[in-house]
Amino acid sequence: MSDESPQLTGALPVAALDDPHLQPYAAHPERVNAVAVLSMVVGFLGFIGFGITFWISDQVQWEAATLGVGLFGLGFGVAAWGKYLMPQGPFVEERHDFHSTEAERDAMSAAVLERGGIVVKRRKVLGGLFALGAGTFGVVAAFPLIRSLGPKPGRALFTTNWKKDSLLVSLEGRPVKVSDLDVGGVLTVFPKGFEGSSPDQTILIRLADIAPGEPPFPLAPPGRSDWTVRGYVAYSKMCTHLGCPVGLYQEQTQQLVCPCHQSIFNVVAGAIPEFGPAPRPLPQLPLKVDAQGFLRSQAGYDQPVGPGFWERP
Amino acid sequence: MRRLLRARLLVPAGVAAGVAAAGLLTFTPAAQAGTAPSGSSSSASSLHASTASASVAPTTSGAAGSASAKAAGINPVTLPSSYIAPGEALFAANCASCHGTDAVGTSRAPNLQGLGAGTIDFWVSTGRMPLADPTEQAVRKPPRFNALQTLEIAAYVQSFTPGVGVPIYHVNLSQANLAQGQSLFTLNCAACHTITGAGDALADGAFAPSLHVATPTQIIEAIRTGPGNMPHFSAGNITNAQARDIVAYVHEVIQHPTNRGGFGLGGNGPVAEGFVALLIGVGGLLLVAFWIGERA
Amino acid sequence: MIDKSLRWVDDRLGVAKGGRTFLDKIFPDHWSFMLGEIALYSFVVLLATGVFLTLYYVPSAKEVIYHGSYLPLRGQRVSEAYASTIGLSFDVKSGLLMRQAHHWAADIFLGSIAVHMARVFFTGAFRKPRELNWVVGVSMLLLGILNGFLGYSLPDDLVSGTGIRIAYSILESIPIVGSYIAFFLFGGNYPGNGIIIPRFFIIHVLIIPAIIVGLLAAHLGLLVKQKHTQFPGKGRTEHNVVGSPMFPTFMAKTTGFMFMTTATIFLLAGFAQINPIWQFGPYQPYQISYAVQPDWYMGWLDGALRIMPSWEFVGWGHTWPLEVFLPAVLFPGIVFNLFFAWPFLEAKLTKDRAYHNLLDRPRDRPKRTAAGASVFMLLFMVFCASSTDVLANFFNVPLQSVLITFRIIVIVLPILTFFVTYQICKELQGYEAAGKRKHPVVVTLTPEGEYRTTEMAPHPGDGHEEIEPIPVPTFINLVPPELATGSGVRRVMR
Repeated sequence: MSDESPQLTGALPVAALDDPHLQPYAAHPERVNAVAVLSMVVGFLGFIGFGITFWISDQVQWEAATLGVGLFGLGFGVAAWGKYLMPQGPFVEERHDFHSTEAERDAMSAAVLERGGIVVKRRKVLGGLFALGAGTFGVVAAFPLIRSLGPKPGRALFTTNWKKDSLLVSLEGRPVKVSDLDVGGVLTVFPKGFEGSSPDQTILIRLADIAPGEPPFPLAPPGRSDWTVRGYVAYSKMCTHLGCPVGLYQEQTQQLVCPCHQSIFNVVAGAIPEFGPAPRPLPQLPLKVDAQGFLRSQAGYDQPVGPGFWERP
Repeated sequence: MRRLLRARLLVPAGVAAGVAAAGLLTFTPAAQAGTAPSGSSSSASSLHASTASASVAPTTSGAAGSASAKAAGINPVTLPSSYIAPGEALFAANCASCHGTDAVGTSRAPNLQGLGAGTIDFWVSTGRMPLADPTEQAVRKPPRFNALQTLEIAAYVQSFTPGVGVPIYHVNLSQANLAQGQSLFTLNCAACHTITGAGDALADGAFAPSLHVATPTQIIEAIRTGPGNMPHFSAGNITNAQARDIVAYVHEVIQHPTNRGGFGLGGNGPVAEGFVALLIGVGGLLLVAFWIGERA
Repeated sequence: MIDKSLRWVDDRLGVAKGGRTFLDKIFPDHWSFMLGEIALYSFVVLLATGVFLTLYYVPSAKEVIYHGSYLPLRGQRVSEAYASTIGLSFDVKSGLLMRQAHHWAADIFLGSIAVHMARVFFTGAFRKPRELNWVVGVSMLLLGILNGFLGYSLPDDLVSGTGIRIAYSILESIPIVGSYIAFFLFGGNYPGNGIIIPRFFIIHVLIIPAIIVGLLAAHLGLLVKQKHTQFPGKGRTEHNVVGSPMFPTFMAKTTGFMFMTTATIFLLAGFAQINPIWQFGPYQPYQISYAVQPDWYMGWLDGALRIMPSWEFVGWGHTWPLEVFLPAVLFPGIVFNLFFAWPFLEAKLTKDRAYHNLLDRPRDRPKRTAAGASVFMLLFMVFCASSTDVLANFFNVPLQSVLITFRIIVIVLPILTFFVTYQICKELQGYEAAGKRKHPVVVTLTPEGEYRTTEMAPHPGDGHEEIEPIPVPTFINLVPPELATGSGVRRVMR
């Protein structure tokens, strides 16, 4: 080795031990050294502490504290060593142009164009067939990747399980009697047999206590005067903005608010959106009371529920 | 150590950790509160202590209560008739200026007759009444009257319409089902009060208050009477047993959340977490980088 | 020992020359060059903690009855994904620490990428020849945000489930193909057939991390190949790099920084509770909590959705949900395309095709700085808009007023920011000494009562800045000069 060294040193830089570039940054290296030693010892103790904590308990705060102290102590010590005690230079490195010479570029493009050119030009049919085959493979390979993922939408977004005469039930499947809700009461209801189903969720609100035979609760939209019964009104609970459950009912102002993006719907005026990003009223479910005094739907929703989509007319 | 480990498998790990940690490494005393069995002696006694209004009342075993309500642990409290006379004096001095003589209401404040003692107890015991400015939403504040005075006012207002309206309830949570309560709370309450019970702003400057200091009696009164913008949940809507489960969930879990992972950051979710991540996490590391690196 | 092993390896792989050059690689010392390292080390923490989590997490939407040790949920019907996440938080030793560390690391990962990106942008480090590395970096940001959202969704709790619901509706809002994309991805109408959890899982733990690892390798490889940029300074030119060598100085500093980054993440993980899903409960599509927001890096999309007016367009027999499509698809699309295209756009606008290895001071490029500040302000304001309800509650003002205020300021403030920043840059340019090295000035009072100012040498603490930089010495004369036995003698201790 000693024989080779002089030759190597001729090409590579050599520095004396007292070269200013090799001196530590710290004015008092021993003090920094003491701090780094202390820090690393604390780090070591932290890791030991983590090991003990893990075995005797599963206390998250102690685990984090010991691990954090361990990691930080070790890291701080090493960083202080690097910053204050190691050679600080400044050192310099030359940049070299990494782009090729013009001749090399020409050679590269010639290798592609000329060598490739004679091959492809001589056998155009082969080249064309290969391109056709590879392209076709690329297209058909995507078929299973895309089409097998799930079903086509079909009419799924247009329909719910609410039909004529669907019985309104609570989440637990309890039918709703006309006497169940006070004025100002709300209840999330589903068609019987579909409790918990997302598109069917409907919010039932009692706006007034109207005796049988009296005129129905006046609603703003024309043609819906008989959609309420005994002061009950029901709307789809899926927001027309992004489908969040519109579960926030302000009783005094008679507004439904969507907790996600704060669209505000006027319950008395057919749930038209008064404020916020929701574009359409919540679809309304026409209600009636059956002979046993249970609430039922007159019909399903007259439009798709939830957010807008392309196929919606 | 092996014996300790085997013994630990027999009890829930969370409780075991709490037991193991209790001697040596107790960091957050409330951290295990949520995992304590419901109806244990500790939670029952804390309930009794916090339902001051019910414990003061002489006859907590409600004679007027229906059998189903009692089975569900929700017992209506019958207020003695001796409360009515002092209640009348308190009402005349503090309430009648707005709610009128005989509590029939004025242009400034509503008729209180027929609302029931529970309604009065809720508004007065939470300090929302008396209210200085009736155009503002009443906020919770230290109550003006002590528990006995509150019951006397409630007895006075109830005396106009005996048996009508929402009574004051004493809630017994020993049979409550917390999992049911969690589900019902999420379905019926979280949309306004938030899932951690922190409360939030509603439309038109109204707000849903925090649930962190309400007593079980006040919670059931709020459910049944629907104060302010809150919907009314009658027994046909949320059954007595369901209401008890919700009260138990609010009282034992929402008010004593299991913050096993550290400081709860106010239950405000990703907004607070984002600030911590960016200011403390990234910000702190920027300072470290600023120390390690050069400035010029 | 080292020597012998090196010979063995070098005989077979020939690594000595390249390896030594790598050890000599120069890293600029300026602190702002360490921002990307925060992202790198948080990513390491993400991988490590993520592997731990996969050992316990069950990616399944199958309904089970919860029987774990968190009592308020016992007996409830929850998904296996939710039950297993609660399980690893309560019944696995160190499980919660790892889960929270994973989440904090994700928040810090994306936060440090944003800060690193701002440094690269405002100093012009993205210019030729580094446009490709900028594109790689922006790709990692995009994938990181996407993967953060997917990971956030995996526990299947109430808050994240609401996020998935919103994501479904956003997909639905895409014209023509929207409902097909949503149905294919979720396996049906929302909430789908339960396939979304395993799909999100495999994308989250395999596909995107693998791409990020590849891009990260490319990012660092390009950095080594193209070498660092540097701020102008003594001895620094377009044709060199001045700083510390890879080994040992930079390696010690960066190792220390790695440990301290990890420490920060784990300290947060144990003391600041993040995403306590046991408090949120399992997701059901008919349940909702108020005040739910996504993680901060998705907040700008949520805010854009909130302040968007209800501009649904119905025509030609179709519905165009612009109130969703514009803020949630087009807006992020434009923002990221702008990010990707910026280096090429700026080169086209300035007609600057030269190599740039020396960085700009932001004030010296007022138009770029103003444009960047303006976009930053836009994104920050939209981000703030994602907490309209929290702000309304905090400041006790009506919700509607907060929302209308935000609709105005997201347009006004960025424009204002552009002109104000431009003006500030111009002012700072005129201030000659700013950014230059300052010399201490000593004021003395003469016996005659006259004050004199004397400019002194720079502060001794950073005196080494004044030394001419030299190439990294490969050989060091380890024998102190006074012990050397003659001139030209050199001994290397082994």
